[in-house]
Amino acid sequence: MKVAVMSCIHGNYEALNAVLSDIDDQSADKIYCLGDLVGYGPHPNAVVEMIRALDIPTCQGCWDEDIVEGLNSCECSYPSVLAEKRGKQAHEWTDQVIHPEVREFLAQLPLSLRDDNLCFVHGSPHNQHEYLMPEVDAFVALERVLVTGADILFCGHTHVPYVRSLDAGQLQIRVKSTGTTERDVSFSAPLKRIVNAGSVGEPRHGRPNATYVIYNTDADQITLREVEYDYQKTCAAIIDNGLPPIFAWRLARGLEFAERADDPTHVCER
Amino acid sequence: MNDWAILSGIEGNLAAYEAVLADIKRQRQPVEELYILGDVIAPTAESEQVIQRVRSPQQNEPMPQVCQGWWEEQLLILHGLGRTGEPTELIERYGITMVKTLWDAIPREMVEWVRSLDFGLFELDCLLIHGSSVSVSDQLTPDTPAMQMLDRLMRMEANTLFCGRSGLTFQYEIQQGTVTSSLTTLDRSNSPQAIAVKPRQVVGVGNVGRLPGQASYALYRPNSNQVEFRTVRYGAGKGFQRASP
Amino acid sequence: MQPLNITLVAGSIGAGKTTWIQQQVHTTAETVIYLSLDAGETAVDSTYLAAEVPGLTVLSAVQLANFLEHPTDGCVVYLELGFHIDLNSIILPDPMADCRRVAVLPPGTRHTEWHGWADVVVTGAEASITLRQPHLWRSALSGQVLDSASLNTFWYELTNGAYGTIQRAKGIFDVADGRSLYFDFVAGLPETTDMELNLPRWLNGRPDRFSGIEIVGEALGQTAIAQTLKDCCLDEQAIAYYQQQIKDLIEQGEEVA
Ligand SMILES: [Zn+2]
Ligand SMILES: [Zn+2]
Repeated sequence: MKVAVMSCIHGNYEALNAVLSDIDDQSADKIYCLGDLVGYGPHPNAVVEMIRALDIPTCQGCWDEDIVEGLNSCECSYPSVLAEKRGKQAHEWTDQVIHPEVREFLAQLPLSLRDDNLCFVHGSPHNQHEYLMPEVDAFVALERVLVTGADILFCGHTHVPYVRSLDAGQLQIRVKSTGTTERDVSFSAPLKRIVNAGSVGEPRHGRPNATYVIYNTDADQITLREVEYDYQKTCAAIIDNGLPPIFAWRLARGLEFAERADDPTHVCER
Repeated sequence: MNDWAILSGIEGNLAAYEAVLADIKRQRQPVEELYILGDVIAPTAESEQVIQRVRSPQQNEPMPQVCQGWWEEQLLILHGLGRTGEPTELIERYGITMVKTLWDAIPREMVEWVRSLDFGLFELDCLLIHGSSVSVSDQLTPDTPAMQMLDRLMRMEANTLFCGRSGLTFQYEIQQGTVTSSLTTLDRSNSPQAIAVKPRQVVGVGNVGRLPGQASYALYRPNSNQVEFRTVRYGAGKGFQRASP
Repeated sequence: MQPLNITLVAGSIGAGKTTWIQQQVHTTAETVIYLSLDAGETAVDSTYLAAEVPGLTVLSAVQLANFLEHPTDGCVVYLELGFHIDLNSIILPDPMADCRRVAVLPPGTRHTEWHGWADVVVTGAEASITLRQPHLWRSALSGQVLDSASLNTFWYELTNGAYGTIQRAKGIFDVADGRSLYFDFVAGLPETTDMELNLPRWLNGRPDRFSGIEIVGEALGQTAIAQTLKDCCLDEQAIAYYQQQIKDLIEQGEEVA
């Protein structure tokens, strides 16, 4: 069976269409979506309607949550004051154009999805705002998979796709507590993987192309897909719809709009 | 460097706190730093006296460094100063009447002090915190899975994490560990790399006030990284008596 | 009294007028006086030279007039003319009548009005692009404190064409940790020069010193540039917060990066 996983569409309808037809060409049997359907891009309603029409199981992303709950993420989730101001502009624009039923749909999205030994989240199992960057410490990464009980954890939110394999994890522990004798415990974990699906509508890998992943369960093989699409159309729509032109400039260069925090594992305590 | 005394959960029990202070003063190796990992208060009227005692140590006592505990956080939530708006956790655990009990127990003028407390303290390579780097409610015990322990340590890049939420005294050492990591991105593929974890530990520092007549806390020697647990028995309501090793 | 040693420096954008003056100053032991004509409120070059070149004094036009009336012996004066100044329209005061005229031009430049004007033509840096309608945009930012990460994003966007074709951009910015940074970009050169000016950290409120930006380019999105710069600036509260942090670090005797 082939499972296609995509994330971070961010209101980019052109990119979504291109990815959907590539998924078709690859004859995937199932599709999952890891959220961030809206935000930054010019077509939030159309994207959500498409996801609903195709009945694609989707978890809630950080942007979906913010549109439902109101923007209450702390400034520490932005890497700079400029990024924060742009993020707020994007939020306000999206908040104004979004249809009530679209908002309702985003509100009821689950935080995680499960399919056998696969788990799907937006950021990390602990928090949809946490960034699982590829360079996160291997043990931290392993903990994120183990806490789900799954073998493969699919996440998005960083906008750069990757596959990380964590094999033969083991720990040696000694526990002393008053009243009991000292005991030694060893812990081991078989192969676990984190698969980041990248971003359909707001890539950050330096090219404008959309990215997503396909997992072939029979061959146990993961493929990172990079799909070209007419990004100029989205750029034009960004400008025509009154979003800041710099969004179009960055989209055309695969630069994202900077939503990554300095300390990626930092999660605000608010 | 001299010893640290680390305790948690006085829970408004003044006699227990006095007993521990007396035991600290009896140590042959002088105790230089005193850390209190939250739950100084509980929903009792005596809490006010405990706060006053904590804030005004005697001349031969170290100035305690205090961080917020679970009860402090609940109090702040009631006063609209917490990290969340609703006292959901308080009501779930103790019922709705506890809201009023806690509110009445701690005078308003004490709230400012509670508010001024840090969420956690970081000294040398040690994190001192009530629950864990995740929240005040996060309860670490001798039975917590190893990966979870490691995660709590690594979140703050601490080598030792002292905590008090469980009320238990324990030393949980992660002695060694490895994992093989490999990474594939769109443009490159790294060959597998073995990553080792350096030794780290989580220490449960016990609880001072919950059990009448018996208080437990921890002594830590930073130079040798040694931990010693102390159990102090005292006559409830009569102040301290003697220590039993 | 010795005759005054005055050099007028003109030339095209990005050819390296300021750099050439800086080189001359390094080879002379005398006191140097510098003035940039028509810099107005946005004195990027003069602020940069004053901070970086010991023994150099920057004068305003008024101060220069006074100086010419009562010159000090042994002074060397450099007068930089902006590329957009009409060479024939400059009226020089009497004491400057027989000054030296230097034009700094890219290699291979011939038959320009600078050639007719200059006593000496110095070969400067290669120009990688020639603009049909070069436009100069300047903005004073004095008193503003920028967030460094935002500034880097803005500078990347600016010098990669997000706001029009840029031939030259230079700026002096006060950032959150109290430093004053100098940025200098010339199209075609691989990297922006980005350095800390030799000025004390400003840690008490809004800096009372020059900061600003000068851009030469074509089809400049001026409103967008101005707006983005504004979005990079910190508010009062944030400025106070960062300044306090740095003061605390310095007090603790820590190395401030
Ligand atoms: Zn996203
Ligand atoms: Zn996200």
